[in-house]
Amino acid sequence: MEQLIHRVEEWVRQQPIEQIYVAFAVLIFTISFFGLFRVLRRSKSNTILLAGLSGSGKTVLFYQLRDGSPHLGTVTSMEPNDGTFVLHSELEKNGKLKPVHLIDVPGHSRLRPKLDELLPHSAGVIFVVDSLDFLPNCRAAAEYLYDILTKAIIVKRRIPMLILCNKADKVTAHSKEFIRKQLEKEIDKLRASRSAISTADIANDFTLGIPGETFAFSQCRNKVTVAESSGLTREVSQVEQFIRELVKP
Amino acid sequence: MLEQLLIFTRGGLILWELGNALKGSPIDALIRSCLLEERSADAAFHYDAPAGCAAYTLKWAFDNDLGLVFVAVYQRILHLLYVDDLLAAARREFSRVYEPKRTSYDDFDETFRQLQKEAEARAEEMRRFKQAGRAPAAPGKKQVPGAASRGSGKQRSSGGGGSGKDESDGYPGKGRRSENGSSNGHENEIKPNSRAQNVVVHGKENGAPRVDAFDVSKLQKLRSKGAKKTDTGGGGCKAAKAEPKKIAKKNRVWDDSPSESRLDFTDPVADRGEGPEVVVADQGESMMDKEEIVSSDSEGEEDEEVGNEKPGTKKKGWFSSMLQSISGNAVLEKSDLRPALKALKDRLMTKNVAEEIAEKLCESVATSLEGKKLGSFTRVSSTVQTAMEEALLRILTPKRSIDILRDVHAAKEQGRPYVVVFVGVNGVGKSTNLAKVAYWLLQHKINVMLAACDTFRSGAVEQLRTHARRLQIPIFEKGYEKDPAIVANEAIQEAKRNNSDVVLVDTAGRMQDNEPLMRALSKLINLNNPDLVLFVGEALVGNDAVDQLTKFNQKLADLSMVPNARLIDGILLTKFDTIDDKVGAALSMVYVSGAPVMFVGCGQSYTDLKKLNIKSIVKTLLK
Repeated sequence: MEQLIHRVEEWVRQQPIEQIYVAFAVLIFTISFFGLFRVLRRSKSNTILLAGLSGSGKTVLFYQLRDGSPHLGTVTSMEPNDGTFVLHSELEKNGKLKPVHLIDVPGHSRLRPKLDELLPHSAGVIFVVDSLDFLPNCRAAAEYLYDILTKAIIVKRRIPMLILCNKADKVTAHSKEFIRKQLEKEIDKLRASRSAISTADIANDFTLGIPGETFAFSQCRNKVTVAESSGLTREVSQVEQFIRELVKP
Repeated sequence: MLEQLLIFTRGGLILWELGNALKGSPIDALIRSCLLEERSADAAFHYDAPAGCAAYTLKWAFDNDLGLVFVAVYQRILHLLYVDDLLAAARREFSRVYEPKRTSYDDFDETFRQLQKEAEARAEEMRRFKQAGRAPAAPGKKQVPGAASRGSGKQRSSGGGGSGKDESDGYPGKGRRSENGSSNGHENEIKPNSRAQNVVVHGKENGAPRVDAFDVSKLQKLRSKGAKKTDTGGGGCKAAKAEPKKIAKKNRVWDDSPSESRLDFTDPVADRGEGPEVVVADQGESMMDKEEIVSSDSEGEEDEEVGNEKPGTKKKGWFSSMLQSISGNAVLEKSDLRPALKALKDRLMTKNVAEEIAEKLCESVATSLEGKKLGSFTRVSSTVQTAMEEALLRILTPKRSIDILRDVHAAKEQGRPYVVVFVGVNGVGKSTNLAKVAYWLLQHKINVMLAACDTFRSGAVEQLRTHARRLQIPIFEKGYEKDPAIVANEAIQEAKRNNSDVVLVDTAGRMQDNEPLMRALSKLINLNNPDLVLFVGEALVGNDAVDQLTKFNQKLADLSMVPNARLIDGILLTKFDTIDDKVGAALSMVYVSGAPVMFVGCGQSYTDLKKLNIKSIVKTLLK
């Protein structure tokens, strides 16, 4: 063993000194290159998730953003719709545009675990709410929203969220203010029932808002905004604005 | 003849459709209650539009390689034989035309019409061939659609003759006149005027009075069914519905011994020295609120698989299969899947999953994998394993929220108590687990009240009284030999008066085949309309779980007077600590009933109640 080390030392001393410097430099350069790459890549994720209850219009919205029309219509999704593309309305604009990676996650409760898999890589979440049929589904929507807002990844990375009141073109659709207030009320109640007594908050990782005050979306650590849209009549300007803010070209 | 044929992607986009608009939303119902419930190996799916205006049958086919679903919809009374054929042909043709980014396929119309003509011609030929060869068998086949058409004809007639004008009924005029109450008399009138088919049907069934009872009960069954499959076996429903007279209630006599004169041994309200009751000290947190520590298992599964795989693939030749698994171009055929699926099915059955459930699951996984291309460097068995794991996760994930505390708070706001009814067969642990649930609710500062509606078993009321005294909660009891439905009703009113948030109703254990007891249970549930019907099942049960749950659900649906019958809303799995890793009963029960497992009882003391950890169950099942 000792002899081996001795021999290696002698061999090293015999090499011209420049070669050793070059070897070191290459090594350090490669390591720093990979390190930088990893750091940079994380902050430039361009994945946006479309989540929401079943029937709220996510798949229609997905195809509106991609192709400009929902084609022949949609049925309940069984698998996520995944696509990387430049938004359809921006195809006419010239200049280099960064494609957006949009994933439409099925809203059916049996397929909820899929959302957990996709959250780590996302830069933003669009939570789609059906403003037409809102009141019967208010509780379910609030529970889903609460589950998403209390996930560790969302809170730690402050992933911004847009609550989108879809189907706003219909006459009997509720306004976004009404929906916002209702959701805040429901989440307030959920806060009370979910994290009331038990110290081990089993279902959710974090608690929302400030204890003692009624919940408001402005209390969330990540940015939560509310907007309106209509999937069928192509009123998606606010959505596109949100997406563009997150995925800077 | 087909109402509609639809081609859509698994992600939900409709690629091509042909046909008229459908009433209601049958496709969504198909996806939600059949395809996502891992019943994709079923032959067909029946759908009733909500207003009762149409009844459809749906058949489907998958193209797993491209991720497409082909669905054909037609009227239920038609018995089209060429649909499977047509779906297979359409799948072949469409997969040639399909491109991933393309979204409009108008040229497929022409191809499809051609295929439809060919399929109809083939079916016509086969029918002529069969009729020539086997004449007596044909009426037997037509019996089902005949009875169904008569049943659905009556449904429309009672609905005031809705939109069922174009259905192939022989008697729209007569149908409109007959009212519900006098159905018996009008039935006899209609029979001679009906078509030849129905006469044949009539002859096959056992005599006239039976047919009357059959139709009346079938009518009520049809009305009470939502989107559930119709049960054409009308044998179970007795003709008791037609009898208007009341039968006085007699004591149940189980054997030949002379009946006792007095069976009610309950003490009057003042207890006579039953000994000091120990008020239960706070025994600590119920396990419901504790985090589950999931142990990470080692990857011992991989070695097992290799052993199972070797005998199966010898057919194809080891070298070629290795080459294909590396290159990743092998298309999965049923013959490839069969050995892996058989191994999986055996493994599931050793974990105490009911045999028919394991069978159905394996078939469903096979349907979803057939025709798929193997990824590179993957074996058949690992693909099958992944698919099965996903399927199991999907089934066990609840399809509605199981947050009871939230529901209790919601009921509290509305100013009424939240009522939970515990049902199940004998000896599964209803009373014990009722006490555990009460303890858990008490820990969350909720006022609980017990209702002793088990008025049959000796000592049941005392048992609950002891629990109530130990937990210091009120109990509502009326002793023995009383009608449980009335007791429950009064208990709920009492709860409203003394501001209890939750009422836990204990019922007597009963076998699923016992008709009078099931009727009593149905009466209790319909009279009181509880918020949660909890089926208590023990984890030790084997194949009987399937029978218990189907019969309970069926009886609750049949014997109720209202259209939307209350069915089992949740499952409480008991005696979980007695099975080591044979956790299959959970899967059987959830698959059969569609209800989520809300609690798991894992011991005999108050704190032994926990939530079902889905990931660990799936891991244990597939180990």
